[in-house]
Amino acid sequence: MKRHKTFGLAASAAAVALGLGACGGGGEAAAPTTAGYNAGIDAVVRPSDATGGTIVFNNSSVPDSTDPGNTYYANMWNVLRLYGRSLVTYKSVPGNAGNQIVPDLATSLGQVSNNGLTWTYHLKPNIKYEDGSTVTSQDVKYAVERSYAKDVLPNGPGYFSLLLTDPKYPGPYKDKAPDKLGLKSVTTPNSTTIVFHLARPFSDFDYVAALPQTIPVPPDKDRGANYQLHPMSTGPYKFQSYQLDKQFTLVKNPNWSAATDPNRKQLANKFVFNLNVNADTIDNNLIHNFADVDMAGTGVQAAARADILSSPSLKKNADNAFSGFLWLTYINSKVKPLDNVHCRRAVEYAADKVAYQTAYGGPVAGGAIASTVLTPNLVGFQKFDLYSATTKPHGDVTKAKQELTVCGQSNGFSTNMAFRSDRPKEKATATAQQQALSRVGIKVTLQGYPSGKYYTNFAGVPNYVHQHDLGLAIGGWAPDWPDGYGMLYYLTAGPAIQAAGNTNIGELDSPVVNNLFTKAMATTDISARNQIWSQIDREVMSQAVILPGVYAKSLLYRSPRLTNVFVHSYYAMYNYSILGKKATGS
Amino acid sequence: MIAFIVRRLIVTVFLLLVVSLITFAIFFLIPLLAGQNSYELASQYVGRNPSPAAVHAIERKLGFDQPLTVQYGRFVRGIVMGAHYDAGPDKTYCPPPCFGYSFRNQQPVWPMLMSNVPVTASLAFGAAVLWLVAGTAIGVLSALRRGTVFDRAAMGVALAGVSLPIFFTGLIALQLFSYRWPIFPDLKFVPFTENPLLWARNLVLPWTTLAFLYAALYARLTRAGMLETMGEDYIRTARAKGLPERKVIVKHGLRAALTPIVTIFGMDLGLLLGGAVLTEFTFSLHGLGLFTILAIQNNDLPEILGVVMLTAFFVVIANLIVDILYAVIDPRVRP
Repeated sequence: MKRHKTFGLAASAAAVALGLGACGGGGEAAAPTTAGYNAGIDAVVRPSDATGGTIVFNNSSVPDSTDPGNTYYANMWNVLRLYGRSLVTYKSVPGNAGNQIVPDLATSLGQVSNNGLTWTYHLKPNIKYEDGSTVTSQDVKYAVERSYAKDVLPNGPGYFSLLLTDPKYPGPYKDKAPDKLGLKSVTTPNSTTIVFHLARPFSDFDYVAALPQTIPVPPDKDRGANYQLHPMSTGPYKFQSYQLDKQFTLVKNPNWSAATDPNRKQLANKFVFNLNVNADTIDNNLIHNFADVDMAGTGVQAAARADILSSPSLKKNADNAFSGFLWLTYINSKVKPLDNVHCRRAVEYAADKVAYQTAYGGPVAGGAIASTVLTPNLVGFQKFDLYSATTKPHGDVTKAKQELTVCGQSNGFSTNMAFRSDRPKEKATATAQQQALSRVGIKVTLQGYPSGKYYTNFAGVPNYVHQHDLGLAIGGWAPDWPDGYGMLYYLTAGPAIQAAGNTNIGELDSPVVNNLFTKAMATTDISARNQIWSQIDREVMSQAVILPGVYAKSLLYRSPRLTNVFVHSYYAMYNYSILGKKATGS
Repeated sequence: MIAFIVRRLIVTVFLLLVVSLITFAIFFLIPLLAGQNSYELASQYVGRNPSPAAVHAIERKLGFDQPLTVQYGRFVRGIVMGAHYDAGPDKTYCPPPCFGYSFRNQQPVWPMLMSNVPVTASLAFGAAVLWLVAGTAIGVLSALRRGTVFDRAAMGVALAGVSLPIFFTGLIALQLFSYRWPIFPDLKFVPFTENPLLWARNLVLPWTTLAFLYAALYARLTRAGMLETMGEDYIRTARAKGLPERKVIVKHGLRAALTPIVTIFGMDLGLLLGGAVLTEFTFSLHGLGLFTILAIQNNDLPEILGVVMLTAFFVVIANLIVDILYAVIDPRVRP
C-alpha cells in the first residue's frame, strides 16, 4: 500500500468485521509558534487570520481524481476539504488530536442504534452549495450511491458496499428508480436526516462517514466521469478552472457557511495547483518561494533534504513528521519451521533494526525504529518493546539463539524472503536482514518480485507462499483511518486472509486476536476500545508474525510565506484546510 | 508535385494504420504471451483493492472482454466515425478523430493531446531556429577555419553538447539562471497569445538547453559537409571564375552541404513535435513529452496510441516537407 499515493489497502473482498471508531487520542496542541525545526508537528506555525494572496501548490504527479467519489489519494483527501464537506471529518488541529472525528455537515457524530446496525446523522440546516442551493440528505445518499458505480468511478474505496445491507446495488447510473435513489440500505426520512443500515455492527462507522464519498453531490449536477472537472463545492473554495493533468484553480465560495465550519478557513483569495511538476523543481520552488506547498506531502527529495538539513535558515522551516506508514517484514506462521512461534521470535530478536532504518534512508528520511504494529500517530497506540528493538537495535543474538534452541533449530534453518525487486529500499532491507539473520544460522534466500503483482500473484497468495517457502516477506502498511482497526485488521485478523491479494501475509488466525477484534467492534466506549487495539498489538507481537521495521517519516518543507501551518496527524502532511498567506512584505 | 503529395499522404494513412496496429499488439499481445488475462489488465484501472465485481465492470466497460480484433476495429472506427462513451448519467459523443477514452481518467484522448501541442510546438520550433542558425553557422565557420583555435574550441563544445544529457544541462541551467541568479525565475508555460514576451522569456532556458544538444550535432554535420563540398572541383571553378568568396561559400558550398542537414532536420523536428520528453520533464512543460510519460506510467493504451500516432504523423509530414524542400535547395531533383 502506498500512502504517498493512496490511503490504505484496507478493504478488499474480505468480510468486514466489527470495530469501534475512536475519537480523541493524543494530547492537546502546544502553544502556537512562529518557526523552528519540527515546530509544525505539535503546534500551529504563524497563526493568523490575515486574508488575501494566492497559495501555490506543486504536485509531481496528478490526482487520481478531483471527484470526491472517485479518489483514494491521501493528498487529494486533504485537498478535498477545501471544496467538500463530508458528514463528519477530522479535527483541524496539530498533534494526535487531529485524529479526532468531529461533525462536519452533520450536527453530531453518528447516533448508533442499540443493536449497532443503524447509524443516523442529522444535517446542519441551510448548508449551501456554491450555486446557493441547499444541501439535502438525499444528496448525501446520492453521493454514497456513486461509490457503487465502479465502472464509472473506479478509484474510491469500497467500504459502503462492504458494510451496508445491499452490496449488489448497481450504482445510480443503472438505478431503475426514477429519482436514482434506489439504495435501500440508506434512507432519508427527511431532507436533513440520513440513516445507514449495516449488515453487521461496525462501530468504526464514523470513520467511514468521514470518507470523501459522503460529500454531497446534487443528482442534477452529476456528470459521472466528467464531474471531476467541476465538483459542486460545499467548502470555503470552489473550482474556477481545471486543465486536466496540468492545473486547477480554486477561488472563494461565497456560499460557504463559515459559522458551521470550525475546521476550515477562507483566508487566501485563491489556490493554484500546478500538476506534473518535476519533483526536484518543486523542492527548489519551495525553497526559493516560487511555490508554497508540495501537494503530495511525502517530503522533499534527497538533494533538497541535504540542503535543508545543512542550512539552519532552511532547517527552521522543516518538519520531520511521521508519514503514517509502517515498513515491516511479515513472518509467515504456516511455513516451516516458522510455524513454531519460537523460530519466529528468533527472527524478531536477530533482525538488525538499525540496518532496517538505514535501508529506508536513516532516521530523518526513513523513520524511527519500530517495536509495535500500531504507529505512534494512531489512536490506541501504546509503546512497548517485546524484542529489544529499541534497546538493542542491532539485534539480540543471544536471545535469538535461545529461541532457536526452544524451537528445535539450534543450528538455525533456511527460508526464503520476498521483496519488491523494483523498490531499492526493500532490496536493501532484504540484503541487510539476510546478513543479520545469518549471525544466528538462519539462511535466507532473497526472492524479488514485481511490485505490481506482489500481492495479487506472489506474497499475497498463501498457496504460492507455502509452495515456495516464503517464510519472510517485506512490505508496508498505512491505514485508511487512524485507529487499531484501520491498522491491524487487514494485517492480522483471521477473516482477512484471502486466496489472492492477501494482506495478512503472516497468516495469523489466532482465536485470541480474532475475539479481540470482535470485542472491539462491539465496544462503544472509545477508551475501552483503544485499550483493545493495544491488546491486539501486544498479542500480534507476541505471536511474532510481523517484524516492525520503521515508523516511516518524511521531511516536509514549510513555506515561510504561509500562515496556520501544521502537520495533520491523520493526513500525515500539512493540513490544507486552514492555510493562509502572509501579507506581502511582512 | 500535387500527385506526389497526394501519393505520400495516402502512404501516410497506411503507415499510421501499421503503427497503430503494432502499438496495439505490443500493448495487448506481449502481456498476453506473458500470461496476463483481461481481468488482470482491467484490475490496473480500478483503483485500490477492487472487488472482483468492480474489476469485471471495468473489464466490460473498457471492452477487454472482447476479442482483440473487435477492440482494434472499434478504435479505428472511432478515428473515422467518432464514438459514444458511457460517462455515467449520459452517453458522451466523441467526434472524429476519436482516439478513444483514457483508461485512467475517462476523458477523450484527442482534446488532451491537442491541448499539449502548443507547448511542444513552441518548444520545438523555438529550439529548432536556435540550433539551426547556431549549428550551421558554427559548422561553416569551423570548416572555413579548419584547425584553428576557433575550430577546435567549437568542436570541443559541440562534443560536450552531444555528450551531456538534457536532464543534466537543463538542471544546471535551472539551478543557475532560475534559482541562484533568478534571471528567469518561476518558469511556467504561458501561451503566446496571452503574453508573447512572457512566452519567450519562460522558454529561453528550455530552448537553449534543447538547442545546445542539437546545435552541437548540426555544427559537426555542417562542418563535415562543408569540408567535403569546399574541396569539390566546382568550388574551385567558381573561385576561378572570380566569384566573390561569400557567394562561393553561401551559394555553392553551403547550399550543397545543406541537403543532408535538411534531411535530418525534418526527422528531428518531426520527432520533437511528438514530444521533447526529457526537456519537458526537466522544465515541467506540459507538452506531448510529459503527456507520454504519464501515459506510459499509467499503462494507458488510448493515450499511448494517440501520442505514438501523432508523433508518426509529424515525422511523416516533416519528411514530406523536406522532400519538397529538396527541390528548392537542389535543382538536380526538381521534377
